[in-house]
Amino acid sequence: MKNILVILLFTLIFSCKNDKNDNGNLNIVTTTTLITDLVTHIGGDRLNIQGLMGTGVDPHLYKASEGDVTKLVNADLIFYGGLHLEGKLVEVFEKMQSQNLQTIAVSDALDPKTLIGSAYFASNYDPHIWFDVNNWELITAFVVKKLSEADPENSTFFEENGNTYLDQLKALDAEIRATISTLPKEKRILVTAHDAFNYFGQAYGFEVVGLQGLSTATEAGVMDVQNLANFIIDKKIKAIFVESSVPKRTIEALQAAVNSKNYNVEIGGTLFSDALGNAGTPQGTYIGMFKHNVNTIVNALK
Amino acid sequence: MNSAQFEIQVIASLVAIACAIPGTFLVLRKMAMISDAISHSILPGIVVGFFITQDLNSPWLILLAAFTGVITVALVERIQKTGLVKEDTAIGLVFPALFSIGVIMIAKNANDVHLDVDAVLLGELAFAPFDRLSVGGTDIGPKSLWVIGTILTITIGLLIAFFKELKVSTFDPGLSASLGFSPLIIHYGLMTVSSVTTVGAFDAVGAILVVALMIAPAACAYLLTTDLKKMLGLAVFFGVFSAISGYWVAHWLDASIAGSITTMLGVVFLLIYLFAPSKGLIAVMYRDKQQRIEVSLLTFLLHLKNHSEERERHVNHLNEHINWQKVKSETVLDLALKNNMIVIKKKIVSLTEKGDEFTSQAIDYIITNEDAQIEDMKDDFFLFRG
Repeated sequence: MKNILVILLFTLIFSCKNDKNDNGNLNIVTTTTLITDLVTHIGGDRLNIQGLMGTGVDPHLYKASEGDVTKLVNADLIFYGGLHLEGKLVEVFEKMQSQNLQTIAVSDALDPKTLIGSAYFASNYDPHIWFDVNNWELITAFVVKKLSEADPENSTFFEENGNTYLDQLKALDAEIRATISTLPKEKRILVTAHDAFNYFGQAYGFEVVGLQGLSTATEAGVMDVQNLANFIIDKKIKAIFVESSVPKRTIEALQAAVNSKNYNVEIGGTLFSDALGNAGTPQGTYIGMFKHNVNTIVNALK
Repeated sequence: MNSAQFEIQVIASLVAIACAIPGTFLVLRKMAMISDAISHSILPGIVVGFFITQDLNSPWLILLAAFTGVITVALVERIQKTGLVKEDTAIGLVFPALFSIGVIMIAKNANDVHLDVDAVLLGELAFAPFDRLSVGGTDIGPKSLWVIGTILTITIGLLIAFFKELKVSTFDPGLSASLGFSPLIIHYGLMTVSSVTTVGAFDAVGAILVVALMIAPAACAYLLTTDLKKMLGLAVFFGVFSAISGYWVAHWLDASIAGSITTMLGVVFLLIYLFAPSKGLIAVMYRDKQQRIEVSLLTFLLHLKNHSEERERHVNHLNEHINWQKVKSETVLDLALKNNMIVIKKKIVSLTEKGDEFTSQAIDYIITNEDAQIEDMKDDFFLFRG
C-alpha cells in the first residue's frame, strides 16, 4: 500500500509543470479588494496584480481556492491588511518573511499610537483603518515606497501615480467633510451591524455604535439589541445601516425591536465595510466606495 | 507542480492516515460523531488560553484546545455511564454546552477582539505550506507536517502496541475486562488520541474535513470487509486516495481544497455503497431477488414431492396449484431444470433423484427448525443460483 502511495505521489510531481508568468513585471498578490484597488492605482500595468479575495468577501471568513496557492508561491511581493484583519492568515504572512517571500502589512504604515485598541486587550487593534482618508494617504505613500524598493526601475512611475492618487485622496477628504457639514452635529450617529466604522467616527466626528462586536463571527446578544433600540429612540436616530459583507438579518432584528417600541427607524442603505463593490461599478474603488458610504449616511440621517 | 502543491498533498495524505486509524475504531464503536463534537467543544479551551496568555498566537491555546477535547470525551463517558441516555445523546448534550460556554465567555469579556476558533487554528490547507518551522534559521518544512507527523507516529505506535486490546475491547468489552485490561482505559486512550488528532488535523485542514476524514474512509472500509486489519488498511487507502484525487479536483476547478477532498470522500462512499460486493445496495437487491426465486423453487419442489397425481403436476396448471406471487413460473421451472432437479415428460413435471434428495433434506431441516442450514445445502446442490 505504501508503495502505491509513493508511486502515486511521484507521478503527480512529474506530471505537472510550473506555469509562471514571465512578462518581466513583478507578481504582486493582495488580499482584500481595498488593497487590490490601491496597488492597482499605483502600479498600473507595470505590475501583475492578483487579488485573493473577491468582492463582498468578509476577510475573516475568506476560504482559499487551489489557485491561490500558486499565486502566493509565485508572488514577489504580498500586501495584506494586518492587525488580524485576515484572521489567522496574518500570522502566515508574518512567517513567510523568513522564507524569502516578501510580505507587507499595509497597517505598518501607521503609528500604533493612532490605532484604536481593544478596551480589554492592549495588543489587539481595530483593523478597519481605511475609514480615515488620512490613514489611506499614509498607506499610499508607504506602498509607493515599498514598490519602489522592490522595483527601482519603475520607481518614478510609481511615485507619479502615487502623487496623482494622493491628490485624489485629498480632494476626497475635502468632499467628505463638505458633505458631512450639511448634517447637523447632533444627528451624526452611525448605527451599523459590526464595529467597522470606529476610525470613520474618530476622523469625521460621528458617534459610532456597532450591533455586533468586532469579529463578524460573534452574534449580537438580546440585551445588546434592546439597549441599542432604546438608544436609537432616545437619540431620535432616523436610520440604521446594513453592511455588504455582514448578513442583513441582525440589523433587521434591531429595526423590528425599535419598531415594536412605537418608533420608526429606517434601514438607510448598504454600506461597504470590509470589501469593495463589484469591479466596474463606482463602488468598486476606494474613492467611489467612500463617497457612496458618506452620501448614504448623510442622506438617510438628514 | 510546485513544492507548495506537493506539500499540501503530503499533509493531506498524512492527515487522512492519522484520521482513518482512530476513525475506524470510532465507527466500529458507533461513536463517529465524537470528532464533530470535539471540533466544536474546543472553543472554551481557546478562550481560556487567550485570557491567560493574551496572545492569539500562543501554542498554549492549541494545547488547551486539545485538553478541552479530552474533557468533552470524559463528560460524554460520564453521562453515558449513568445508563439514562445513549452515546449519541450524551455527545449531543456535552458539546453544545461547552461551545456555548466559549461563546458566552467571548461575549462577556472579549467582544472587541477577533477571537474565534478560526483565529487560532489555521484550518486552511491552501496556506499550510506557508506556515513553516525553522530551526536555527534553517527551514525544516511546514508546521502542520511536523504536528501531524508526530501525531501519526504516536498513533501508529499505540496502534501496534495495543492492537489486541483495542480489538477485544471494541468487539467484546466484557471479555476484555475478564482478560484483565480495562475497557475504560482503552476507551480513554482511544478518545485522547482522537481528540489530539482532531485538534492537530483541524489546524492543518479545517473542521469539516477532519470529521469527513475520520468517518467516511472508515465507513467505506466497513462496507467491504469484516477483518479489522483489512478495515484499517482500506480506510487508510480510501482516505489517502480521496485526499490526493480531491486535491487535483480542486486544482482543476480552482476551488477550495478541503471542499473538494470532502466531495471526493462522498463520491467514494457513494460508489462503495452502491457496488460493494456483499453489503452494497446493488448486491443486496440482487441477493433479495435470488432468495425470492429460490424460496419459490423450494415450494415448487415440495409441491411435486407431495403430489403424485398428474393433474397437480401439469406444466400448464402450475399457477393454479402453487401460490406464485412474485416470481414467474418459467423462471422457477428454468432454474429447476438447469439444476437437474426436475424432468418434464409430456408436459408432466416430476422430480429427479437429485431433486428428491434435495427436497427430503430440506424438509428435514424445516421440521427440525434449522432453516439456516438450507443455505449451505444450496451450495452443495445448485449448479446455478436463482
